[in-house]
Amino acid sequence: MARPARQRGPDALDTEASLVARARAGDVDAFEQLAGAHADRLFAVLLRMLGDRAEAEDVAQEVMLRAWRGIRHFHGQSLFFTWLYRIAVNEASRCLEKASRRPAGVPIDAGAVQVPAAAQDQPPRRLEQAELRQALRQALASLLPDNRVAIVLRDVEGLSTQEAAQIAGCSLAAFKSRLHQARMHVRAVIGDDMLINAER
Amino acid sequence: MGLFSRADDHQWSQRHLSHYAEGDLSPRARRRLERHAEDCADCSRGLRAMRALLRLIPGIEGREAVRAPAGIFDRVRGAAGQDGDPAPAGGT
Repeated sequence: MARPARQRGPDALDTEASLVARARAGDVDAFEQLAGAHADRLFAVLLRMLGDRAEAEDVAQEVMLRAWRGIRHFHGQSLFFTWLYRIAVNEASRCLEKASRRPAGVPIDAGAVQVPAAAQDQPPRRLEQAELRQALRQALASLLPDNRVAIVLRDVEGLSTQEAAQIAGCSLAAFKSRLHQARMHVRAVIGDDMLINAER
Repeated sequence: MGLFSRADDHQWSQRHLSHYAEGDLSPRARRRLERHAEDCADCSRGLRAMRALLRLIPGIEGREAVRAPAGIFDRVRGAAGQDGDPAPAGGT
């Protein structure tokens, strides 16, 4: 999967700075170009956090609207994508909070996740790739929102720990703790043998 | 005799599997975990599982790239049509 367009050289950063300046002056085309470069990955993050396409689409529009309205307050202290992702994480968290129906707030019950179980006297069978992806998605959906943000940004998106902590809006130590909890939970839900076998 | 009991090492190793896989432990801490995992089937398996998880999880979306919806800027367009310049709002 392609990485977001955030690994850029000086030329691209110049272009970004000029697009930011134009967007801040009210140029909506410049804003679309600027934010559009991150739209696919941003949407993927929202989808993974919210677990529902319609909701993710709605929140994605809201994120872009908030970013547009807030662009005057963006002075380039951070990268644009960091700033934009931060808005996205805030919006998604707000959405999850509002909808208390989420599995995220429910105490973790590994049994609730549909991981094909192996018979006790048989070695665990190898999960098909699609099954594994589904099991991973379900495991992520059963995480507490803060822990889900951590694993989505760091492990799914491949952001650095520092970038991800900045976007999550917490200290590096707090972020690492959330990430650890998230990984341990997903590992427990899927099972060590399943994970090891899936790689073979 | 080491500074820590086997039980200490085990609990400590279980708590640090993710940090180890992340390359986030000091050389001394890495050695402690590695030494313990050599003799502990649980931690050895845990370490392999954690590494497997970190390799598998980026592929969660499958090969098909996720695309943002076509109308992602609809509200921006609507607001820009109404307000013109971006409104001084947000605090983001």
